[in-house]
Amino acid sequence: MRIEHKSWRDPLLIGATVPLALIMILFFVVPLIMTGILTFQSSRYYRLAWTWDLTIWRDVFGHSHYWVVMLRTLGMSLACVVLSVLIAYPVAYGLATRLGSLRHHVTILITFAFLTDTVLKTFGWILVLDQNGVLNWGLSHLGFEPGAVNILFTPTATLIGMVYNLAVYPIFTLYLSLARIDRDLQLAAYDAGASRFRTFFEVTLPLSRPGLYAGAALVFVLSLGAFLEPKVMGGGNAPMASELINQSFSTRVNWPLGAALTLVLIVIGSASLALSAALTLRRRGGEQGRLSDVG
Amino acid sequence: MTDKDIRDSLPFRPLSRRSLLKGLGAGAVFSATGNMPGFSGNAQAGQSINYMCWEGYNSPSILDPFQKSNDVAISVDLITDSAGGFAKLAAGAFRDFDLVSSDCPWIARMGPAGISRFINDADFAEQYAEFYPQFRAPFAPLQFEGKATGLPTRWGWVGPTVNTKFDKLETWKSYAPVFDPAYRDKICLLDWGDWPIMPLALYAGVDPYKKLDDKELEEIRKVIRAAFKNTRAIVADLATAQKGLIDGSFRCLIGGGTYCTSSLRNTGHDYIQSIVPEPRNGMKQGIIWMEATGLIANDRDPAIASKFLKYIVSPEVAVKLAITEATCNLVPNQKAEALFTAQQKSALQMDYMWTAWDNSHFHTIAPNIDDMLAIWQQELAAR
Repeated sequence: MRIEHKSWRDPLLIGATVPLALIMILFFVVPLIMTGILTFQSSRYYRLAWTWDLTIWRDVFGHSHYWVVMLRTLGMSLACVVLSVLIAYPVAYGLATRLGSLRHHVTILITFAFLTDTVLKTFGWILVLDQNGVLNWGLSHLGFEPGAVNILFTPTATLIGMVYNLAVYPIFTLYLSLARIDRDLQLAAYDAGASRFRTFFEVTLPLSRPGLYAGAALVFVLSLGAFLEPKVMGGGNAPMASELINQSFSTRVNWPLGAALTLVLIVIGSASLALSAALTLRRRGGEQGRLSDVG
Repeated sequence: MTDKDIRDSLPFRPLSRRSLLKGLGAGAVFSATGNMPGFSGNAQAGQSINYMCWEGYNSPSILDPFQKSNDVAISVDLITDSAGGFAKLAAGAFRDFDLVSSDCPWIARMGPAGISRFINDADFAEQYAEFYPQFRAPFAPLQFEGKATGLPTRWGWVGPTVNTKFDKLETWKSYAPVFDPAYRDKICLLDWGDWPIMPLALYAGVDPYKKLDDKELEEIRKVIRAAFKNTRAIVADLATAQKGLIDGSFRCLIGGGTYCTSSLRNTGHDYIQSIVPEPRNGMKQGIIWMEATGLIANDRDPAIASKFLKYIVSPEVAVKLAITEATCNLVPNQKAEALFTAQQKSALQMDYMWTAWDNSHFHTIAPNIDDMLAIWQQELAAR
């Protein structure tokens, strides 16, 4: 395949990118700038006051509880990423390599679960995890004490809800990566005497990394903004950033504060993604260096 | 904030870049919510009303007869919190609406803020005459400098909501069980803005409706922290709270009251009751909430909106407004009382309403509300 290199001065290229660039400017850059402008105003008795000062930023940096919630959100998001990937990988691997003709049926089932309304699924968990819910009912019939599992309205319940709602993303990204792996490479590894374990870690896992990273990034970004799960299943225990932002906007009607916290969350999310991308590239560079040394 | 400050911050100014931006912002909000006023499903109607209201006011059984008899199309924009509704109107959306039904303190603020019109009580004399004496003109909570900002439409009280299958009502004659270790992980606080804060402040001996000093705010912080310690969940969803109350996983809901009780009672759960605790150290512990409906101040013709205002407080419509699918609430129209069935009266705890009234503060916007909400937010973050 011949790759055609085009100059950024090419009118056709400019013409092709202008609509997308305009959309991005109008619906992403402009709102972001407006959000930034809002943070330099203040709220006076439920009304926006155009004060142009640093009051809100002093408030944000002067109160530790905002940062406690932000760090908690970061921690919960990372935990959600790890659990989602751990669940998604075997599912995607099974779909890609083991299920044969059943693969399409299972994919359709997962898609249906994915398309079911998140609000419905999250509230459904209350009926499962409640003290008088399905889980405890089942356990009581197995001889456990009534109400043996008491995790509803805890951070654990929040995490369960987040993983349940988000694990489907890495399932699909990993499935796409795993399905594209050339089976001959794995067979060659077996022929060379590698065990299944070693073949997986030296052939399958490295080749499925694009799907792994894409899925992890998706789960991370969506976890940072998780609102429903902490609100419905967390019961106010260990609230997360989106709840804090929602409270600032709607309950306190302090739009400048809500805007500042939104920007803080965006910066934390972007910085985390940039850091993980840098570490990944560095690691990949090291691996390529080792391979060229071997060559 | 003085009334002059409020008037100074009125949104009526010559068109400026700022007001244009505010208008655009409000337009964006409408577009995002899919409720662009002026675009009604009934495109054939001769007139239109854009109505911002709480749930219940939008019931087809209320709106449809008025639309048909007056050849008018009503577009509804539901609000989920009164402060947010006020902020939206203040940001410029007032230009597009005709009517607003919200919590009484916010309607009261809309008059002096230039968002809603002052009404002439004499024009509504017939309606006032049908009200209970407590709500007749001049109705103080909706008055500003001798002028009314709207008419009262629904009301109830805030107090412990109890399942009497599990607890005796006597236990909740005080908010003490909220802090009792015996009730640990059995209390549900409703995450409804300032509503759960006010009763806790009253229990702490602080009147939250007065200007508070640092010491009093610290007392409120302590009482919120103590309540959080004993609380199983802080829930914003009414259905979750009601489910927990019925199955006993919540022994009491704090911050709700009749708003989360009556619909359960109306569907047969008459063992659920909301009461008002007895005065503590001379301080009343209950809170009366009230919703009101006002006419929005803009250059649109208020005649049809004014007609709707009279319509929604009329006895027959008041009954429909009182008994909705989601919630059941009291109404100020005394003549409506005769139209309720015995079951509906029982659901609304009508035999108890004046006892609750006598032992309650009337809910207004607390001067230190933002301080209290900030404290709530800080203590919540530490949970």
